Order: sequence, then structure tokens, then C-alpha cells
Amino acid sequence: MVKLMQKTLVHVLAVSIIGLGSPMLAQAGIISTLEGIQSTQAQSDLARINQALAREQVREQMRALGVDEAQVQARLARLTEAELQTLADRLDHLPAGAGLLEVIGIVFIVLFILEAVGVIDVFKNVP
Amino acid sequence: MIGSFRQRPEWIAIALIAILSGCAAHPPQAAFQDATHLPTRSEIEQTPFYKQEQYQCGPAALATALSASGVIVEPEELAAEVYLPGRKGSLQVELAAAARARDRVAYTLAPRLTDLLEQVAAGNPVLLMQNLGLKLLPAWHFAVLVGYDRDAQTVILRSGTTPRLAMDVQRFMRTWDRAQRWAILILPPDRLPAHPELDRYMAAVASLESTGRLDAAERAYLQARGQWPQSVWPALGLANVSYARGELRKAETGYLDSLALDPQNVVAHNNLSEILLERGCVTQARSHIERATQLAKGTSLEVPVASTARHIAAASAQDSGASCPQP
Repeated sequence: MVKLMQKTLVHVLAVSIIGLGSPMLAQAGIISTLEGIQSTQAQSDLARINQALAREQVREQMRALGVDEAQVQARLARLTEAELQTLADRLDHLPAGAGLLEVIGIVFIVLFILEAVGVIDVFKNVP
Repeated sequence: MIGSFRQRPEWIAIALIAILSGCAAHPPQAAFQDATHLPTRSEIEQTPFYKQEQYQCGPAALATALSASGVIVEPEELAAEVYLPGRKGSLQVELAAAARARDRVAYTLAPRLTDLLEQVAAGNPVLLMQNLGLKLLPAWHFAVLVGYDRDAQTVILRSGTTPRLAMDVQRFMRTWDRAQRWAILILPPDRLPAHPELDRYMAAVASLESTGRLDAAERAYLQARGQWPQSVWPALGLANVSYARGELRKAETGYLDSLALDPQNVVAHNNLSEILLERGCVTQARSHIERATQLAKGTSLEVPVASTARHIAAASAQDSGASCPQP
């Protein structure tokens, strides 16, 4: 009996957690304006089926990239389905703007390589 | 190998020419050639500047663009919303999403320098991405374009730790090219971009609707309806906002208005049938969903329309459709 109750509780919680992640405006039967303007001449059953999966995948990726647990949910809720899909598919390949400090590091590496090449030129080519 | 190069110096010359011509994708003077209809120089001097902290050009550039649109916010606050520690940077979509969360329209610009300059000349700063490194060794960077000077051949940026960076336009084009020419505007919902494009504006506003920013979406749809009175999309957007708020009468009228503008609009037929069903008008609902089903055939809307159709079929099995009160 206790086991059954535990099992039921787990199921209820699981369903409610999945519910938390679902888009807030997905009323049954209504198609959003965004879906309308993004409609294409091809079926996209696959995309629709994978929406919940995409959300879960991005959630995992954000956690793995060190985003604060409390922030993950809020950040996911702000994205459209298409954006979530893009992140799920290729977050690792999308450019992440970092700024000039990283550039200084890269310039240093490039200078270092150039200098190394230059050294070879100067010391090995001079007869 | 070095020896063979020394014997044939012309190889080095050829290689150098190849490399240099490869880099010079934009011949001098060409960058500004389509901008002759604009003032020689323009600069939005009052655009504030938020200095970048370590790796956080995203939050800083976003704070700059947001405050220019009337939302004052510190980069530290934005960092919690857009920064990815594991990537030491921020993604484009998350910058747009953070702007939307503050009821701002994030409008993606066409990848043309002239389009950016037109916005600057009209007083709209442009948030953009550059790759300051190399293709193989990228250094992604966000900056805000606030001005240009055709005589000096420069663009003026709020960038990183530099409040006013005048960058040579050829150099800017190379860095912008390497970031696939990404550029957006962040606008209050009652301000249209200069030379607005319907598709781009609707995509931006519909994203506000889809993420639940209904008041902002409504204000922006109203602007769009004023700008493009013949287009179905602003009318449909307004109807969808009404539906999301539970204003079903208003939504129904809105879908009918939409169909008057475009009798072939799948979304309007589908959503109208859903509302008709909800208030007991099964026969009318069935006629609209049948039309939607025909029109959606072979498109990405086929699946959602089929789901509404099943929903209606299930209801009409129990209901004769006799009771349909006038709205």
C-alpha cells in the first residue's frame, strides 16, 4: 500500500515537473502567430514531437555550463520553441560573445606563433 | 623547403598576393557606397555606455542597447540572465530573450551595412556581433553601433571598455562578416524601426506573444497594423493576444477581421474553429476546420490543424450543433 502510494506520488511529481517546463501559451487547439508566420511548405512532425525533449536537453546543457539552478528555469521560459530547438541542436557550435579580454589572449598566441616562425627565419636562414 | 622558397622568391610574392587579396573582401570606398542617401555622418551621442567586465561584453552591450530603449539596467543584473560560465560568453538568442523579458521588441536587421546605418541615422543604436579573431580561432564580441562617418570611413561603436571606438569601416566589415553579420535593434513596443520590414517585425513581435509578454505584443501589433493595414498578420496577432487573455468575444471578432484580410489564412480558420467549438457552435467550427485542413495540406501547420480537427470531431460526435448563441 505504502509502495503504491509512493509510486503514485512519484508519477504525480513527474507529471507536474514536466508540466512546469511546458510553454505557458500552448492552449489546446490554438496556433500561435509565430507558428503561423514560421510555417513552411514541409511537415514538421519531428520538431513537434521533440519539443519536450529539446527543452530537457537545453536544461541539461545550461546546468553543465554552470548556470545557476534557479536561473535555468527562468531562462528557458523566455525562449520560443524554435529557439529552444536551435539551442538543443547546436548550442556547442553557436558563437558566445565574450569580448576583448579573450582577444588579448588570442593575439598573444598569434604573436607567439609569428615570433616562433620569425625566429626560425632569422636564425636558420641567415648564412 | 625554406631553401626552395629562397630559390624562387616569386612563390612568396604569389602567396602574399593571394593572402592579401583574400583578406581584402571589401575594396576601399565600397562599404559606404549604398549609403549616399544618408547624411555624411551621424552619431547618437546620448547612447549611454556600460563598461564590460571580464568576458561580459554581452551583458554590457545589452545594457547599453536596453538603456537606449528606455530600460535602465546594470550589466551585473543581466549577466545572471545571459552569461554562460562554461562558454565564458553569451549567446545571441539569450540577449534577445532578455530584451523581450523587459517588453522590448528584438528586431533582427537584414545583413547589410546600409540597413544598420539607416537605423543609426534614425536614432536607433544597433546591437551587433563581431568576430575579432580569425575564422579558425574566433573571438566573438558584442558591441553597439552608434554612429558612422563617411568622410573618415569609420563606424563608431560602444565596445568592451571603450566608450567611443572609431573603427575603420573595412576592418569593421571583416569582423562583422566573420560573425555572419548578426545585428538587432532593441525597441520599445510602440516604436517601429526605420524602414520596417513586415516579416522581420512580425517575427520579433510574435516572439513576444509566444513568451507571454502580451501587453508589449499588443502594443507592437497595433503599431504594425497602422503600418501594414492590409496584412493579415498584425490582425491575427491581436486576436491571438485577446484569446490568450481569455477575451474570447474580442478574439472571435479578430479572427473574422483576419479572414476578411486573407480568406486563406490557416491559423485564423483553425483558431476561429476552436473558439466556435468552445461556445457550442459545432457546425460552424467544423466548416472552418475543414477549410483549414485543406489549406494546411503539405505544410508545417498540417499537424496542429489535424489535432484541432480531432478535437472538434470528438465534440461533434456528442453534440448535434443545434445550439449556437449569437455572439
